[in-house]
Amino acid sequence: MIPYQLVWLIMLLPLFSFIVNGLIVRPFIKPKSRVYGYITVGAIGVSAVLSIWALFSVMSASHHEIPVPDVTWMVLENGVTIHLGLILDSLTAVMLVVVTVVSLMVQIYSLGYMHGDEAGYYRYYTWMSLFTFSMLGLVLSDNLLFTFVFWEMVGLCSYLLIGFWFHRKSAADAAKKAFIVTRIGDFGFLAAILILFFNTGTFDIAALHGLVIAGTLGGTVLMWAAIGIFAGAVGKSAQFPLHVWLPDAMEGPTPVSALIHAATMVAAGVFLVARMFPLFEYSTAALTTVAIIGGFTAIFAATMGLVMNDIKRVLAYSTVSQLGYMMLGLATGGVAVGIFHLFTHAFFKALLFLGSGSVSHSTGTFDMRLMGGLRKTMPWTYATFLIGSLSLAGIWPLAGFWSKDEILISSLANQPVLFWLAMITVFLTAFYMFRAIFMTFHGEYRGGDESGDYKHTHESPLVMVGPLVLLAILAVIAGWWNVAGGFNEVMGAHGHEETRGFFGGLFGAFTHTVQGVPLPLISLLVGLFGIFSAYTIYIKKWITAESLGRVFGPLYTLVSRKYFFDELYENIIVKLALMKGLFTGFTLFDSKGIDGTVDGVSDVVISGGQAIRHAQTGQLQLYGLFIGIGVVIISLCVYFFG
Amino acid sequence: MLANYGLIGLFSIVVVLFTLVMVITPIILRFLKIVPSNPNPIKNSIFECGMETIGKTWVQFNFHYYFYALIFLALDVLVVFLYPWAVHLRQLGLFSFFVVLILVFIVLIGYIYAWKKRVLEWK
Amino acid sequence: MNLELFIPEITLAVFAILVILLDLFVRDKSWLRLVSLSGLVIAGGVTVAMWGDDSTAIFNNMLAVDNFALFFKLLFAGIAFLVILASTDYVAKFARFQGEYYALILLSTLGMMLMAATTDLISLFVALELTSISLYVLVGFLKDRKSTEASLKYLLLGAIASAVLLYGMALVFGSTGQTQLGAIAQAIQSMSLESVLDSPALLMGIVLLIAGFGFKIAAVPFQMWVPDVYEGAPTPVTAYLSVASKAAGFAIILRVFFSAFGIPEWLSMNWGMIFAALAVISMIIGNVIAIPQTNIKRMLGYSSIAQAGYLMVGLAAIGFAPAIATQGQSTILFFLASYALTNLGAFIAVIAISNKINSDDIADYAGMGKRAPVMALALTLCLISLIGMPPAAGFMAKFYIFSTAVQNDLLWLVVIAVLNSVISAYYYLRVVKVMWYGQPASGEKVPSSGAPRLALFLCCLGVLVLGIIPGLVMRLAELAGKMFAF
Repeated sequence: MIPYQLVWLIMLLPLFSFIVNGLIVRPFIKPKSRVYGYITVGAIGVSAVLSIWALFSVMSASHHEIPVPDVTWMVLENGVTIHLGLILDSLTAVMLVVVTVVSLMVQIYSLGYMHGDEAGYYRYYTWMSLFTFSMLGLVLSDNLLFTFVFWEMVGLCSYLLIGFWFHRKSAADAAKKAFIVTRIGDFGFLAAILILFFNTGTFDIAALHGLVIAGTLGGTVLMWAAIGIFAGAVGKSAQFPLHVWLPDAMEGPTPVSALIHAATMVAAGVFLVARMFPLFEYSTAALTTVAIIGGFTAIFAATMGLVMNDIKRVLAYSTVSQLGYMMLGLATGGVAVGIFHLFTHAFFKALLFLGSGSVSHSTGTFDMRLMGGLRKTMPWTYATFLIGSLSLAGIWPLAGFWSKDEILISSLANQPVLFWLAMITVFLTAFYMFRAIFMTFHGEYRGGDESGDYKHTHESPLVMVGPLVLLAILAVIAGWWNVAGGFNEVMGAHGHEETRGFFGGLFGAFTHTVQGVPLPLISLLVGLFGIFSAYTIYIKKWITAESLGRVFGPLYTLVSRKYFFDELYENIIVKLALMKGLFTGFTLFDSKGIDGTVDGVSDVVISGGQAIRHAQTGQLQLYGLFIGIGVVIISLCVYFFG
Repeated sequence: MLANYGLIGLFSIVVVLFTLVMVITPIILRFLKIVPSNPNPIKNSIFECGMETIGKTWVQFNFHYYFYALIFLALDVLVVFLYPWAVHLRQLGLFSFFVVLILVFIVLIGYIYAWKKRVLEWK
Repeated sequence: MNLELFIPEITLAVFAILVILLDLFVRDKSWLRLVSLSGLVIAGGVTVAMWGDDSTAIFNNMLAVDNFALFFKLLFAGIAFLVILASTDYVAKFARFQGEYYALILLSTLGMMLMAATTDLISLFVALELTSISLYVLVGFLKDRKSTEASLKYLLLGAIASAVLLYGMALVFGSTGQTQLGAIAQAIQSMSLESVLDSPALLMGIVLLIAGFGFKIAAVPFQMWVPDVYEGAPTPVTAYLSVASKAAGFAIILRVFFSAFGIPEWLSMNWGMIFAALAVISMIIGNVIAIPQTNIKRMLGYSSIAQAGYLMVGLAAIGFAPAIATQGQSTILFFLASYALTNLGAFIAVIAISNKINSDDIADYAGMGKRAPVMALALTLCLISLIGMPPAAGFMAKFYIFSTAVQNDLLWLVVIAVLNSVISAYYYLRVVKVMWYGQPASGEKVPSSGAPRLALFLCCLGVLVLGIIPGLVMRLAELAGKMFAF
């Protein structure tokens, strides 16, 4: 059993590393020194060990929960007490392991990857530490207020890290876009917190769950609260229609994409829904919304993944799609199903991102049209990337197969329409991943980035390959946890699997039937068919991609332009409706109404002093007039409504 | 409440009527040819009486004048305060003596300030 | 006569006179700063020593000495201290008028202290005028065209506002026959509901009072002077104006409306509703017009209008709360303390940077993250606090004020306020973005001297302390929220 002080330590170690890096070491050591990396890796490494210990403790604890005593933070005059408290239940423990292990791998990898970045090395590790701290705080927090605080902090870190190479305008823009788009969702989350507080007077998550289960909190209030929370999750997890920021967020350094925009922060939305799951369980409308948005996002993002030429963007759309899957899993099968996919996905998606980083380290680009044939020069990267892709495509017996299978089974039972969308997505996923593999690693090398000397590709250094291999191992075995229903048991869900032992489960997948259909086998075949289709087009070239593009011309344009969502948001809503309409209106009010008198008079060239004097009287009368009108309007309102 | 406003309303109506009558009466009289109309330049000039102005009517004063005016004002107000106090000094007692002393002291500082800032020199 | 309860005010008056005299005879003007600072420290120290549970009134019930007044006195002394500290380099622009600058700051601080303590309409007006007249002069201190224009506008509009306020007082006096706030309250309570309804003069008086005070706190539609005056005035004066003058306005509003018009409940609901409506338009107008601004002082001017809107959410909550509750007052006090530190911090950074690059344009702040990293970091923290994001003080302040409003059935108002905070993030973050991600005009460092750095450090420290461990100040605000009543 882990002592509760150590649970605090899991969260505080990265904060410690942040403070040491940012405030204590920085004044004495050059920004590019490796010391920063070592401090961060050390702190997060200890956190990871403690997290694993915490997970095993939770697994063996009764009710799978370890109580952690609260710290009183402040007492408001109105009797509301706000505690700083932690939850350590199975959900948190799983998230802890995901966050710390992936973070550790990413930090080790970054020692090699970020080495070229002279001035930013220190900044990078400082912010990464802060991010890890905030993310751990988010999963550990036991009340909504602190969840929100950490929720905003991970958003802030994401903003800082997307804009890491801020001298590139695209990176700075992407950072701003990510921040603003997610804040739209955050508004919903904050509104939900206020609604809940208004109706119950508490921020405590466990207390809220109790009220919902007891039936005290229900009806429309519950529905709006749940939908508000989901709105926050939609923003953070890049679900339709707020998905537009995530692909642009790939402007950040690749390890950042791997940690924040694939494995952890974007999954925070899924985590939040899981954390507040009783609220959704008791509100059918909210649960259905989650299922529909999730299922739709899954296929919607997958179609865009088909046509991207930038390898990181393919992975980004794949992430959006898989997050949709998780939402679907949560809504149809409960916490265990959704979180199990989050758990496996974190490992193989981080692996894929780090693999793409390794590729670009050697070729200087992310554009797949400039790669090819890397399989020979980069065997380790190729092998691990292949494992990650197979896992993502849901091929037996890798991790992705098991978690995806659970989602398909539960959606078939509860949402048959969405099940078909999910099934098509299985095919699309396998197709775009292998399109990426074939374009990147097979065929002939197409020269890499033209501007630099990348003629001779090479394998990445050990410090980068090591984490790839470790993550690849996890991408294989992570799914086996639930082969015999172990994960479901820990999460407190009663799985549909009958106990049949590890090997029984491993091979029983082929014969397992749901409603008389051998679903796992069918999904496996669909996945294989997707791989085969990619093979016919990109290796054998029986059908060329160009001819496909010709046949599906308008459709291709639609998809490759991301359904014109960027245009919709930026040109129409922001530029036209807001900028042109609202803002100009108010600018006019400011400049024409107030300064206009000045400008108007000074345009007519008369002596300067005269102009100022005239303008001033004009303006002042206007100002005074406003005061007068204000008084009159207020008194009229009081007279009529008071 | 309504009665109060009724009085005000009545008053406003009388005001408006009175004004209208005053404006309209000469017009009607003129229309009825009771008032003769034979304008001449002197009658039409702006000033019906008094002297014709010579040159611009806007005259600039030396700014120092205002300084003198301000200081005079301050001392003048002080005298206004001092006179009633001096008349009743015996009844008011020692406390008010010191209060007034402080007041005089503050005005004195203002005077010293003006002196040191060369406000009193006419340039 | 308890003159010992009047020591903070006397100290400030004496030191103001001392500064003027010293200015006449001392050649090294940095002494003046030292003297004014020590005067403020003494006044603040005495105020702290007077803090306690017993509260009384002095000068024939004209001034109250209670925790509420002491809280504000300490706040004003602190603000003036930081402003004077921050204007160390800036005063060089005033050439031979440095003594007057310090003296006027001290005098207006004195006026604000009186405003927080006043319990009578007459002493209220005198205190208000003492504050305002000092500020009119301070605004015009640069003596260039913009500054003079700003000063004249402020003077004329301020005179209109004073007139409106006097009308309001006259109407209130006319319908109650009293000028003392407690006596007004008693007079109103002794009236029957019909007779209150039957005297629209009282309601009109309250409306006019709101208009007059609305000018001080820059609530829409009495905010027209703000951008021009903020832009034209010397930046330290702008900082002082945006923080101290606004806090004084809220002090007086709290005092007058809570002591005189707090009961009966339908009356307080009435003015609560007016403040709620003013809060909505202030927040919307302030935030939306702040977006297209290119001058940072103008932008902060509009932002201060929006912040007044958030504060008025608290006033509305007081109006809607049961008459004896003091929670609304303490939320406003806490918000004012956090706003004072935050906005001062932002302005001090602006003073330090603008004084060196000679520009207030946001575009010229590009690359400040490289050229003046300390200043840029501090400004970023303050802007984050103004948005209301954790871990800065602004978050706790907003949270505290909004939660009180929600408890008093003003959820709709809070929803609007939160939406507005979201909008406001846009223009605050634009400055952050320009500073850190913008291309610097030159690689040259922007230096800053010790005193502004110290002031800025104190502000940022305060912002963080209030944001992370708000308990202490909140306790203080809760104690100060219980006002002295007769």
